[in-house]
Amino acid sequence: MEEPRIGVFICHCGINIGAYVKVPDLVDYVQELPNVVYSERNLFTCSEEGVSAIKKAIKEHDLNRVVVASCTPRTHETLFRAACEEAGLNKYLFEFVNIRDQCSWVHMKEPEKATEKAGDLIRMGIAKARLLQPLEEIEIKVAPSAMVIGGGVVGMEAALNLAKQDFDVHLVEKEPELGGTLRSINMLFQTNQEAAKLVKTLAEQVKSHPRIKTHLSSKIKQVTGFIGNFEVKLDNKAGESEFSVGTIIVAVGAESLKPEGQYGYGKLANVVTQLELEEKMKKGEPAGQNVVMINCVGARVPERTYCSRICCMTAIKNASLIKEANPKAKVWVLHRDLMTYGVDFENHYRRAMELGVRFIRYSLDRPPEVIGEKKVEKLKVYHELWRREIELPCDTLVLTTPLIPSEDNKDISRMLKVSMDEFGFLLEAHLKLRPVEFAMDGVYICGSVRWPTDVTEGVSQAYAAAAKAAGPLRMGYVKAEAINAAVDEEACSGCGVCELLCSFQAIELQPKGDKRVSHVNEALCKGCGTCSAACPSGAISMHHFTDEQILAQVEALFS
Amino acid sequence: MTNGKNGRKSVLVVGGGIAGIQSSLDLANMGFKVYLVEKSPSIGGKMAQLDKTFPTNDCAMCILAPKMIEASSHDNIELMTYSEVEKVSGKLGEFKVQVRKKSSFVDWEKCTGCGVCLEGCPVIIPDAFDQSIGSRKAIYLYYPQAVPKKCVIDKREERPCKAACIDACPIHTNVPGYIKLVEQKQFKDAYKLIRETNPFPAVVGRVCYAPCEEACNRGQMDEPLCIRDLKRVPGDQWSVDDLEVPTVTKTGKKVAVVGAGPAGLTVANDLALKGHDVTVFEALPEPGGMLRVGIPEYRLPKAILRQEIGYIEKLGVEIKTGIQVGKDITLKQLKKDYDAIFLGVGTHGGMRLGVEGEDLPGVMEGIAFLRAASLGEKVGVGKKVAVIGGGNTAIDCACTARRLGAEEVTIVYRRSRAEMPAAAEEVEAAEKEGIRIEFLTNPVRFSAQNKKLAQMECVRMELGEPDESGRRRPIPVKGSEFTTPVDTVIAALGQTAETDFLKEQGVSLSKRGMIEVEAGTGATSVEGVFAGGDVVTGPAYVVDAIAAGKTAARSMDQYLNGQPLEAEKPAGEPEEFSKEEIEDRKKRFPAAKRVKMKEEPAKSRVADFREVTRGYSLEEGLEEASRCLAGQVEGCIECRECERRCEPDAIVYGMKDEVVELDVNAIIVATGLGLYDLSPLTEYGYGKIKNVITAMEFERLTAASGPTMGELRRASDGRIPENIAFIQCVGSRDLRNKAYCSSVCCMHSTKEAMLAFEHHPGTKSTIFYMDMRAVGKRFQEYIARAEKDYNVTYIRGRPGRIEVNPENGNPVIWYEETTTGEVKSFETEMVVLAQAMVPEIDETLAKALGIELDEEGFVKTEDKLRQPLDTTRPGVFACGFVHSPRDIPDSVTQASGAAGRAAEAISGGK
Repeated sequence: MEEPRIGVFICHCGINIGAYVKVPDLVDYVQELPNVVYSERNLFTCSEEGVSAIKKAIKEHDLNRVVVASCTPRTHETLFRAACEEAGLNKYLFEFVNIRDQCSWVHMKEPEKATEKAGDLIRMGIAKARLLQPLEEIEIKVAPSAMVIGGGVVGMEAALNLAKQDFDVHLVEKEPELGGTLRSINMLFQTNQEAAKLVKTLAEQVKSHPRIKTHLSSKIKQVTGFIGNFEVKLDNKAGESEFSVGTIIVAVGAESLKPEGQYGYGKLANVVTQLELEEKMKKGEPAGQNVVMINCVGARVPERTYCSRICCMTAIKNASLIKEANPKAKVWVLHRDLMTYGVDFENHYRRAMELGVRFIRYSLDRPPEVIGEKKVEKLKVYHELWRREIELPCDTLVLTTPLIPSEDNKDISRMLKVSMDEFGFLLEAHLKLRPVEFAMDGVYICGSVRWPTDVTEGVSQAYAAAAKAAGPLRMGYVKAEAINAAVDEEACSGCGVCELLCSFQAIELQPKGDKRVSHVNEALCKGCGTCSAACPSGAISMHHFTDEQILAQVEALFS
Repeated sequence: MTNGKNGRKSVLVVGGGIAGIQSSLDLANMGFKVYLVEKSPSIGGKMAQLDKTFPTNDCAMCILAPKMIEASSHDNIELMTYSEVEKVSGKLGEFKVQVRKKSSFVDWEKCTGCGVCLEGCPVIIPDAFDQSIGSRKAIYLYYPQAVPKKCVIDKREERPCKAACIDACPIHTNVPGYIKLVEQKQFKDAYKLIRETNPFPAVVGRVCYAPCEEACNRGQMDEPLCIRDLKRVPGDQWSVDDLEVPTVTKTGKKVAVVGAGPAGLTVANDLALKGHDVTVFEALPEPGGMLRVGIPEYRLPKAILRQEIGYIEKLGVEIKTGIQVGKDITLKQLKKDYDAIFLGVGTHGGMRLGVEGEDLPGVMEGIAFLRAASLGEKVGVGKKVAVIGGGNTAIDCACTARRLGAEEVTIVYRRSRAEMPAAAEEVEAAEKEGIRIEFLTNPVRFSAQNKKLAQMECVRMELGEPDESGRRRPIPVKGSEFTTPVDTVIAALGQTAETDFLKEQGVSLSKRGMIEVEAGTGATSVEGVFAGGDVVTGPAYVVDAIAAGKTAARSMDQYLNGQPLEAEKPAGEPEEFSKEEIEDRKKRFPAAKRVKMKEEPAKSRVADFREVTRGYSLEEGLEEASRCLAGQVEGCIECRECERRCEPDAIVYGMKDEVVELDVNAIIVATGLGLYDLSPLTEYGYGKIKNVITAMEFERLTAASGPTMGELRRASDGRIPENIAFIQCVGSRDLRNKAYCSSVCCMHSTKEAMLAFEHHPGTKSTIFYMDMRAVGKRFQEYIARAEKDYNVTYIRGRPGRIEVNPENGNPVIWYEETTTGEVKSFETEMVVLAQAMVPEIDETLAKALGIELDEEGFVKTEDKLRQPLDTTRPGVFACGFVHSPRDIPDSVTQASGAAGRAAEAISGGK
């Protein structure tokens, strides 16, 4: 290793540091430290003046390590690293010492000690800087194509979006036809449009798009690789097919719950789910003269605690359609909370009331009761506002049931190394800020496989997932983190703790000679350090945070 | 279809909230150039105002800040905060956008966001970011974690006067600044602001000759401000003893100050604040110099002076009294022991009359007389006293003699009233106290009876040609001699310096014995020795001595740091109003006479040495302060305090708005939400009942970086509420107000109830709702957790009105419990209203963007099924709350979706 020649730049940050820490003394102090060949102070190291001083000193004093003691790497590390890079120094040969947020600001009332502590911190930074190694961020090539799993409306929109951005898309659908759940739907409330029409238009666009290759009646057999280069094997009638893609979108949707045994479903003839009602209405069959709908059947109950988001609107839509087709029909919606959030849903709710749909609230303590032997004759329900029990005539009882996750999710979870929640929906990387991404790089999620969504929201999510998937495709490469984990294969005992702990699926045990050793996929490693901390054999070290570097800092502190 | 210099396609994102940030990041990660335009000074939007976020209760800032920083440091994103879109022309693929970059009056290239300027700014403004619970300054950081972290001056109009007061003041006191602070009752800050340039605010507030008042532009309209009297107010309304002592890093350099007068003590003060060790040597038994022994008690109470000197001592300055340099210790010794020396020995020597009988007992020299009187020595004033001279000292001597029991006091002055150097108001006050003035009269002889002074012979004078001082020379009138009986004569003719002890060290002196210094630095002919005050200029005013002290202190600090001495730049001249300006200001500001400070009646005040002026009452002080023209504008008053403090020199008062034109291929609108004005909803008592607040106010109260540092206390009595009610649908789902559901309130109220519990475990919350709309992922579980673990009760019912219990300020909610039909009342300690939210876009912006809005004011979408994020203008997309009521996860999803649509639209693929 070349002899370190360290330059130290200590920032006054105006009076933020300068008023409490004796910066000039520190400048003199660090000059005494081994390998420090240059030190200076700046009123603001981050100013143009400060940054050019760094660049100038690197050249004039032939510096090969730079330490800046100032505010916080959170806001300024990029800037100083860039300064080093511009002066021809690898940016990982830069070390940041925080003497403001972690020193002068917290010790304003004890300036002597603040100065002493700042000296300690800088000495530690210098100790580490001596051992810094240049690192390179590797670029991983990305195959300019994507796979969308799920040929429903959400999957089709995602595929079209990517195709229109000029990328090849493999659209994989397990059914022989495109359209998903929408194929069973009658009308779509947002535009009062036939669902079939929408599906048809979309499917035609998908099929005719030269960039989209649709794989019908196909199941995914295996996915290997990582972002940029996923190898996919499909199983279908034609046998097996294989292709590679850069990114993957999961849009397999969800299923509607069949509430066996509840309110006579499966036993009494005139009990249907909303989805079954839709199919009936689609065929033009009348819904009946007295229609009662019960919401939250199988949802928001102890065994299935979640709200399925879209069902209240489904009930309101169908109730309104019945009233529109037959104003003389009576329609009651028995509901708990009515989830008509936003502008449009609330309008539809109000309009349904105007059409004469009756809304009666029930609570879980007093659910409606079905009266009838072979078929439902009447419904007994406690009317809260009237504070008494009433009976409703009923010739069709419609149960509003939640969407439930598909059994297929388990396979997807396994094959793509993505997580599933306790209900069986697939789990996004972060509920709020990364809702359409998985923790696994290069794999994205949209539609009801994540959480029940209506068409509008699902399509928005499709665009969102497509935007994420398009990022690496457009760039043609992804940059991997340079600060990552490295395995000493000799020392590795192959215990697999690291593999288990890695949140990014970056570690895999691989055979090596007569044992299995841990292998870090540099493309996926985020450098979090969990594996390194956990490794019982001390076989994993973190670049830029090596044991040697950290111990040098500790030694410097107590020296 | 390409744009930009490098041929890259670009997208404009309007709105820098979480949605806008997300769209920008997605587009930037796809390689597009992004212009992110935000109207406020920082990105972050409403999310930045929140404490935590449902349903994971992540700290909002903790998850937002990394996104903000990512956006600000992304190579492909150009942040344009404090900017607004004015016009969009062209079409998809080739939009031309005009963006107005509003003037921040701060050069953001230079501003480091350190915030030093904020402390000095005297203008306090309710902080909109804190929902006006807290306040900010006219120069401000939008919030502590702002990105970019740059200061902005909230300057709304030009200052109506020219702040001539500042230029007229020898120490450039920030007059508009401290008057503004007085007006806002910020007495401590006012005192601190004055103290920036003057270590004696209370003293100078009593004895200054106030050149500022003469310059005050208001004087050209009606009457100038009582600037001096206002300077007293902070010290009167608040105690200097409460001023904290700053922590200073010691330099280890030692400084000797000779003379504890205003000049010397100013040097001591300033250098102590720079970390130097200062020792002051004072010959007299008490410090203060002329302030102590020259200005009588009734004009400047010693207690006031002691207090202000006491604070200088608190800074670590050591004052050694009773040590005369030159006698008790040599200057040579000081030079050996100290790194720098300041000479401020003043002019404590008197002048002789040069007439016969001057040495008789009963004839005293004025300066010595005042000194003896103030030190409590026996001075022996007779019944009939004559004071010779026409300056302020003569007046002080006369009034002091009067208070010491003289029955008849006459001032004998050789010129006429017009030539009197004493201030006219002082002369007038003396006359009120029964002091007679013999003008055009000069003593020629004193004679004794029984070895005691008995008579004074005078001659009448007339005025001849002007002499070198410009005043007409008095010439004795022959034969006009007359004799008058006196038992005491005080000769107040002038002061001289006693500087003989300096000669040995080669300090260069003038003919009159004054020390000669370099103008602008105060350096004497001897290296390391500086001087200032009366001993340099001859007798002058307190504020001049302070000015000299400041100049010297500045140079001495440079000297001690081994820097070259830099002469002070000459200050600007006070400017006057033009005639047009006078007329204009008279129209804008109603005439108002100055509020005169009340005085002790002349009759009673001569009985003892009580202070003559009584100071302003609080009301009088505020009234007078409100006359200051500079303070009458909203926002920045251009007192330039920030400019004085800004180390990187970033303040630019003359900055103008700039309109830039951008070429972009597509546009995303993400302007987010606003809060619905609750004034039509009078039934909830918002604005009237103190303990009824909005949810956003609650968020600011619980936020650790909020105005209360996260202390959740109620406004009426500062108590921590143990019982809180949350009311849903306040303005939402209400045909009189907003028909729609705001979509997020059920959840944020539940979160806030949890936060209350987290702040004070045991807090009981009750949430009044219509439907509990917990439809998102993990929301039902969140509600269940609130009920189970956080003491939250949900009551289905819409409250009809809120009253207040006058005894304890508790709000009382009247509501119908819809599950049982009962009408009930519910007393609680605090009510939080889930205020309806509205899309943050108006007709003007919609028109500029060329898009249509729906009936509720949200961005209109034609095909909600297939193109839910499109607007009515091709190539313009929308996301977040401005598109439809959305929570954060949905807004973020839409934001990425809009980015995807934009990418598709401008990709050229089919």
